[in-house]
Amino acid sequence: MAVTENEALAAINADYEQRYGFRDAENYLYKAPKGLNREIVEKISEFKSEPQWMREFRLKALDHFLSRPQPTWGSPLLAEVDYDDIHYFVRASEKPGRSWDDVPADVKKTFDRLGIPEAERKFLSGVGAQYESEVVYHQVREDLEKQGVIFKDMDSGLREHEDIVREYFATVIPPNDNKLAALNSAVWSGGSFVYVPEGVHVEMPLQAYFRINTENMGQFERTLIIAEPGSYVHYVEGCTAPTYSSSSLHSAVVELIAKPGARIRYTTVQNWSTNVFNLVTKRAVAQEDATVEWVDCNLGSRLTMKYPSVYLLGERAHGEILSIAFAGKGQHQDAGGKIIHAAPNTTSNIFAKSISKDGGRGSYRGLLEIAKGAHGARSKVVCDALLLDEHSRSDTYPTIRIGEDDVNVGHEATVSKVGEDQLFYLMSHGIPEDEASKLIVNGFIEPITKELPMEYAVEMNRLIELQMEGSIG
Amino acid sequence: MPEIIDVCPIEELPPGERRLVEWEDLEIGVFNCGGNLYAIEDRCSHDDGPLAEGEFDEENCTVECPRHGSLFDLTTGKPKTLPAYVPVDTFAVIIEDQTIKLEVE
Repeated sequence: MAVTENEALAAINADYEQRYGFRDAENYLYKAPKGLNREIVEKISEFKSEPQWMREFRLKALDHFLSRPQPTWGSPLLAEVDYDDIHYFVRASEKPGRSWDDVPADVKKTFDRLGIPEAERKFLSGVGAQYESEVVYHQVREDLEKQGVIFKDMDSGLREHEDIVREYFATVIPPNDNKLAALNSAVWSGGSFVYVPEGVHVEMPLQAYFRINTENMGQFERTLIIAEPGSYVHYVEGCTAPTYSSSSLHSAVVELIAKPGARIRYTTVQNWSTNVFNLVTKRAVAQEDATVEWVDCNLGSRLTMKYPSVYLLGERAHGEILSIAFAGKGQHQDAGGKIIHAAPNTTSNIFAKSISKDGGRGSYRGLLEIAKGAHGARSKVVCDALLLDEHSRSDTYPTIRIGEDDVNVGHEATVSKVGEDQLFYLMSHGIPEDEASKLIVNGFIEPITKELPMEYAVEMNRLIELQMEGSIG
Repeated sequence: MPEIIDVCPIEELPPGERRLVEWEDLEIGVFNCGGNLYAIEDRCSHDDGPLAEGEFDEENCTVECPRHGSLFDLTTGKPKTLPAYVPVDTFAVIIEDQTIKLEVE
């Protein structure tokens, strides 16, 4: 074939610089010096006028962070993270505004360019927009507020609903869970606090948008979602940053609690620039008859290590993890998921798809655990990898632990390569080569993109197309 | 058949203190929460690492696993936070002749 596959496929996020890579001038109210110590942690707590227990929680977490070694598993790129070269707190605005007019002009311009207010008008129940360390805009529809739905930035959540926060905060992911969770617990700022009362269905998604602007910035949002019995909520998050030559760090902690019969769906479209280390801990609890679904799409970042998990603690609980990872030049997407069946008759699915091109590395890392006593549990794990050229890489690291006899577990893994014969077949039907490649990739991820809300599915397909085009000729 | 083993004289384990004892291949942590005594197996149900040497909160009667942070209720052995989700074994504490004893089997 005249054009090699490598030539036919484009650079990752071909127009990232133009669409998301812009940067604003820094007119900050406060920017912490680089590095992390007790003084910075105390300063963050002081800025936020937090209760004493949260200040102590942060300081204890800092000790955990400092005493734990950097993990050595996952990716050799982890060794590049320099914790001393990061700004741990940057304040852009006095407090989150409920009107776009309250948002500082340059920050507003950023979110206008990203299309956030427009999206809110069209199809969302509520929006939070985080710029650097803190949320600068927050709004939830009035009718939901009247039903008792709380959707706040986490700082306001702590101030205004301290009792609820204290009861649930860090019960799903304790600060000493791992080094990055400890770091987040010490310096967390922003993120979302969502509380859905019993029986309330939030029909349209709540959305949060996370934006890093500063070079060498660390963003450490903290999200806690509590769905009371029989309730439903869908939370969607998106993330972008300018492209810098030096690294930024994004390390979130996300905790979900689905009470009996509740359902939480959490969708992420992560499109960080390729200088961002994305090291995130996401974990959910599903009680009796509850359902938790993670829809996790990773396109950007230098390195992503993220394995959303669901602990099925109540009988008949259901967990679902749908994961797409796209690893381009210089990227490592180490993604996957974990499901723990801790009660009888629980069910779960993990569907993971990874695409690697231009030397990128996609890994699936997963855990399926069925505890003793979880009889009647059923689970299916499917992980598929698509390699678009000779020098890209795909790895699968599945772990399955089964402590019960009466269970049904399936595991399937495939690795395929876009072959010349597939391209030739489509081209013989008059489809140009670049279109043929896009068709193959879109067909590969379609089972997951169809689960996204329509607007996000369109955006996801557009992003994938962008990644596929540009280098022909 | 349960067996009774000695831990220590009662005055050697005042409120806020803990002690580790071994019996056959079991290691057990004994805690004094404000005058009430509780005993749990010294093994976190999450990854089988040692548990009883973790941070002891006498007021709330909990111990935190030093490895991954699960918080255990010493009165029941149940985890109050993930990543552990299975209770650890507890043992009955007996005081006889001014001595703390455990019922093990």
